[in-house]
Amino acid sequence: MAKFLEYVPGESFLHRMNPVVKVLCALLISISCFCTGNLIFLGVVLVMDFALAASCTMMRQAAGLARAIAIFSILLALIALLTTPTGPQLVALPWGYLGWGSVVAAITVVVRLVACAIPLFLVMYVTQMSDLANAFCKIVHVPYKYAFTFTSAVHFIPVFMNDMSGIMEAQTARGVEFDGGALKRIRLMVPLCVPLLISSVRKTNSAAIAAEVRGFNLRTCESGFKEYPFARLDAGAIVACVALVAASIVVSMLVPPLF
Amino acid sequence: MIEFKAVSASYDDEMPVLKDVSFTIDDGDFVAFVGTNGAGKSTTMRLMNGLLKPTAGEVLIDGVPTTQLKTSQLAAQVGFLFQNPDRQICCNTVRDELLFGFRAQGRADAHAEARVDAIIEQFGFDADAEPFLLNRGTRQLLALASIIVMETPYVVLDEPTTGLDFRECAKVMDIIAQLHAHGTTVIMVCHDMEVVGDYAQRVIAMTAGRVVADGPTFQVLCDRSALDATHLLAPQIPQISMALVENDPARADTALARANTVDEMLDALQAQEGAMSCGEVS
Amino acid sequence: MLCLKDFSFKYAESDRFALRDINLAVPDGCFVGITGAAGSGKSTLTYAMNGIIPHCYPGDFFGSVIVGSLDTVDASLTDISRLVGSVCQDIDSQMVASIVEDEVLYGLENFGVRTDEVEVRLTDALEAMGIADLRTRTIDSLSGGQKQKVALASIIALRPKVLLLDEPTAELDPASSLAVFELLREYAHHHQTTVIVVEQKIALLADFADKLVIVEKGRIRFDGAPADVLAHSEELLEIGVNVPRATSLVNGLRQRGLYRGSAVRDVDEAVAVCEEVLA
Repeated sequence: MAKFLEYVPGESFLHRMNPVVKVLCALLISISCFCTGNLIFLGVVLVMDFALAASCTMMRQAAGLARAIAIFSILLALIALLTTPTGPQLVALPWGYLGWGSVVAAITVVVRLVACAIPLFLVMYVTQMSDLANAFCKIVHVPYKYAFTFTSAVHFIPVFMNDMSGIMEAQTARGVEFDGGALKRIRLMVPLCVPLLISSVRKTNSAAIAAEVRGFNLRTCESGFKEYPFARLDAGAIVACVALVAASIVVSMLVPPLF
Repeated sequence: MIEFKAVSASYDDEMPVLKDVSFTIDDGDFVAFVGTNGAGKSTTMRLMNGLLKPTAGEVLIDGVPTTQLKTSQLAAQVGFLFQNPDRQICCNTVRDELLFGFRAQGRADAHAEARVDAIIEQFGFDADAEPFLLNRGTRQLLALASIIVMETPYVVLDEPTTGLDFRECAKVMDIIAQLHAHGTTVIMVCHDMEVVGDYAQRVIAMTAGRVVADGPTFQVLCDRSALDATHLLAPQIPQISMALVENDPARADTALARANTVDEMLDALQAQEGAMSCGEVS
Repeated sequence: MLCLKDFSFKYAESDRFALRDINLAVPDGCFVGITGAAGSGKSTLTYAMNGIIPHCYPGDFFGSVIVGSLDTVDASLTDISRLVGSVCQDIDSQMVASIVEDEVLYGLENFGVRTDEVEVRLTDALEAMGIADLRTRTIDSLSGGQKQKVALASIIALRPKVLLLDEPTAELDPASSLAVFELLREYAHHHQTTVIVVEQKIALLADFADKLVIVEKGRIRFDGAPADVLAHSEELLEIGVNVPRATSLVNGLRQRGLYRGSAVRDVDEAVAVCEEVLA
């Protein structure tokens, strides 16, 4: 059972790509989403995202992620909806009106966020954190300490989520009802952050010591045993993603806005 | 009464963790579940308070299927001690921690206050102490106390003695034994066969999601096939007793074969030895 | 090899000595079991042996701790780590990788093991722990016993002279606990490694250790061969240390005057004593 943001082993081309290239490509795809406000282009990127997810059998995770981000971006979408009075009028508002343009703007916000986030999260699912850290050290020469800080932080996310669900379970068994409104849920969950915080401090402390007695201080960028060569696949992926960014810029310059 | 009727369960709808498990736990029982990690013991415990619902079959608490009740409702009937007390403890003082269950269930009245005071007295806690600053054994006791204080008719304990030293373990188990003596039905998962032998009345042995043996404690713990199937060792005295019978099958009818505790075995050995030296004299 | 001399330690934040006047010598290749009641100072003792004290936990340090030729106060933690491999209590937070193989590689990479030797060390360590088939599995998918073996493999790959384990079987069931101890004994025997284990499961310790150390309130109360230490079963129970039932039985026989030989440490020895009594 794969947990949130945890590496899922596989042999797909995404798995085999160079970790640095994966991150670069994910960033390029995200950039392309912000270069244009064209809904059709963003839609195409979104479809591409899902195609990528399908190529490494990560459809279920991608769909879940898309839903989560869509829910989070609803607030932004609402703001866009109420503050972009363009297109044919639908509803009059005291400070303007709500038109077809507003609806498109709201949808664009959601699609853009989902389309730009999926590739970044996919990278987490198809790359081992240790590979990511080692590759960034070896290729980009990021100091190992920073790479390690980042990977440990990500490494601990599922551990903490696991802890949190364990804590919530324990409280449910004592009669706390977590179902109900979001506000009530949050109110009930706040006191539970204490046990979580305490176990986190304990865990990070012992993790730091454990790393130290395994020679953490000796580690340099050259320590990694595995090599991360660039393959033709990686070059192809970079070319494709650069082309995508170029296309988004062209689209935003040439295609006039819908409204 | 807790009834499992042909219960199967799984966490992700793919791999069944429990397969066709049936048993009945009567009021006043003291049952220990034994087996290796992954045998399905913890899953069985979670089914009892509705944290997990069966994918097939039924779990009935006093005749009511757990599917009809929320875990928060079941909490009034089934007290549940988790393996790790740190996941359970969440209040700033010992007193608040003990009151937490009553508050969660909306029953924080004068009776609750009195119960909490009585428990603080019984366990010898410092009511204003900060739970997180207590040592591991005391935190485990506090977690246990916060379950006992609710006076639920059933108490489910998932490895109550793991991580405790000998003295703490004895203290926790004695409190559980007292609780049982006062009529509470106790169900526990335990890896320490000596503890199981000392306290449980009945043992249910599980392996790979199935029940392989179910009966009086030492009957199960001395059942070779059940022990082999569950990769368990009997407590040491039954092991010695089995070895002695194996060495000389004529001992099968003597007290040696029935000795389960150190004292029983000492008496049995002394009696045998005495009988033999008498025989020599006459 | 490993030697503590008049060692006392007080944590900076505490006003009480965690350990006091510890004198302990561990010969090469010895399998040492350390036990004691909660809060007796067992863990502090392991921290002193692997240099975490004084390097990570400051405090008042008296006497000396010598590992091989290193004085733990003068040597760096990294240099001590080359000699003493430690497996901590909390396995989950010790793991740095998501795949078994990478977890074992981590230490090898850090200590700069030559590239052509890495593969040999990796396979040897996995085989010694009987987990060669788990090499490419995600750590997340493993059982507690398997994880413990991975943690052990990642340390023995570094080929330390001393293996230090803090409650390695706390979370394990009896079968996996026994398996871990058997692997440890086998490995230590083959590689002439000193093993020091802190453990609550007295029956396991009594069975596997060459030397048993009982800590009580920051001092060493008993230190000797398991059977000799366990002969004091009543004092041990009094200070919160369990005694195997087999030992209690034989000690009972001695008290009742039915047996005059020495104390035993496991079931097999107890059965032999019973047969002697019955003969």
